[in-house]
Amino acid sequence: MAAVMTFISKVEEDSAGFYERCAERFPELREEFLSWSKENRKFEKNIKRTYYGVITDTIESNFSFEGLDTQDYEFDTELPQDADSSVVKKKTEEIERKIKEFYLKAAELSEGLLADIPRVLRKIAKKREGRNLLA
Amino acid sequence: MAVKRLQNYINGEWVDAQTDEYVEIINPARMELLCECPMSTKADLDAAVEGAVEAYSDWRNTPPVARARYLHRLIELMEDKFNELSVVQTREHGKTIDESRGETRRGIEMVEVASGIPTTMQGFNLEDIAHGIDEYAIYQPLGVFCCIAPFNFPFMVPLWFLPFAIATGNTFIVKPSPRTPMSQCELFDMLDEIGLPPGVVNMVHGGAEIANGLMEHPDIKGVTFVGSTPVGRHVYKKCGETGKRVIAQAGAKNFIVIMPDAEIDKAMVSLMSSFFGNTGQRCLSGANLLVVGDDKRYREVVDKFVSAAKAIRVGDGLDESVQMGPVQNVESKQRIIGMIEKGIEEGAKLTLDGRKLNLVGDVPEDCFLNPSVFENVTLDMTIAREEIFGPVASILRAGDLDEAIDMIHQIPYGNSAAIFTNNGKWARQFQHDVVAGNVGINVGIVAPMAFFPFGGMKDSFFGVLHGQGRDVVRFFTESKIVIQRWF
Repeated sequence: MAAVMTFISKVEEDSAGFYERCAERFPELREEFLSWSKENRKFEKNIKRTYYGVITDTIESNFSFEGLDTQDYEFDTELPQDADSSVVKKKTEEIERKIKEFYLKAAELSEGLLADIPRVLRKIAKKREGRNLLA
Repeated sequence: MAVKRLQNYINGEWVDAQTDEYVEIINPARMELLCECPMSTKADLDAAVEGAVEAYSDWRNTPPVARARYLHRLIELMEDKFNELSVVQTREHGKTIDESRGETRRGIEMVEVASGIPTTMQGFNLEDIAHGIDEYAIYQPLGVFCCIAPFNFPFMVPLWFLPFAIATGNTFIVKPSPRTPMSQCELFDMLDEIGLPPGVVNMVHGGAEIANGLMEHPDIKGVTFVGSTPVGRHVYKKCGETGKRVIAQAGAKNFIVIMPDAEIDKAMVSLMSSFFGNTGQRCLSGANLLVVGDDKRYREVVDKFVSAAKAIRVGDGLDESVQMGPVQNVESKQRIIGMIEKGIEEGAKLTLDGRKLNLVGDVPEDCFLNPSVFENVTLDMTIAREEIFGPVASILRAGDLDEAIDMIHQIPYGNSAAIFTNNGKWARQFQHDVVAGNVGINVGIVAPMAFFPFGGMKDSFFGVLHGQGRDVVRFFTESKIVIQRWF
């Protein structure tokens, strides 16, 4: 359903904004955070382009994400004033894990009707696997 | 505030209809008045035909590649206004915003395919049919064509025809449905903006008087129509009398066969979309679910189908969480309720009663129905044989695939049929034997892409060539054969 696309915009925008704020506060991680932020906005565009490019009166998405509760995948992007880089790394890991789980679930639920959407969602979930500041 | 009155688009200008009769256009989800649509007169129609006839001679001599460039510009505008166009469809029709987006996308695809006309309109030739003599076929436009459009896909259906008609060098008149005329006004705003020569495209609002006028007019070469079977038959007959080409895509009663090995959980999303998408108001909707298998399998399929149908969220289509909108007007709702009552009277079991409303948000109930599901339906029942055009599913049983196909053939319609199975032999037999114009294998809505013809057989189609794809290019052109020799 359309609400899922709105949620995708929200998670990518919120996380991109979070990374931009982190880039300012943690200069040692600036490059990584800025590149992630840029990439998140590309992910959003990519998903939307795919979605609006393939939905038709045959392959519509009203029933495609049945059972997906977006509330299960919400995350907050607040950082305490005194947070150090270990806190932000942990927070980042949590955000990325939630987004990845969301995309994989959405992909699984939509494959009965849509074909391109689950493919792009899985691809983006996989790309996020490389994001690990804790390693 | 004064209510907006829609205008006709004739000979490159927006003009008031020469009438005092207007019908109110209501958003069925909110029961709010959107605008008023004129019931145009013969004088309006004559002006449109005159403009189209006058524009034809220059337009047919415009090179196909130049004609296609107008369509490229139209595609750009449609992409820019993608969401705006979709919202208009939802407001005037009631469908969900994603269904409207799907409709907009399909409309754009039609224009994309039509813009390939420099290739698709090409003829063919053979050198030396005898020594030094060559023969070739060229395709030429015929003149003025028109479209009598239905209410259920107000934006997309005229685009099955219009872009192909003008790309091939014809001129065109659209008569939108007087129930959902606003989407076509949006389209004609864009057609105006791309700067087509006056008269190449025209739009005349109205009802049966305009439709009959188009079929009778001596200067119109062909009619395209999408709507019910009785009207489709009338269009075909009338156009036969007046010597016009015709594509009349008509009603349906589509079967979906669930074989014992079908992956029912994976199929369910497709089934919900098929039976209840667009609130069941489309000629490709699933109507009869035909379950093949023993009692245990039958129960499993029915329980899962009913449970999924019951969970569908019904409300205003502009609410992004909603999965099914209202039916298009109050009369439709009453007609559908009448069919539900008929089903009960004739002995079917109403397992899920959509008359008991469960709606998302604070919306007026006037046009809403929740999904209904009948069990124990047999082929002699009205609900199994007649098009309901609403969110009502009938479940029937068959012993095996042969019996299932035989049951499908007992219904006069042949628009589409689908099978869900993992067995290639069954799927192949179904595809080969079933008399239906569009066949789905593990696909619930068999809507052909713009580059394939939109099939339809038996009482679902009247004509020879179909809409879309290669068929429609042939429909809008006449083949001319040239045999030449030089001394």
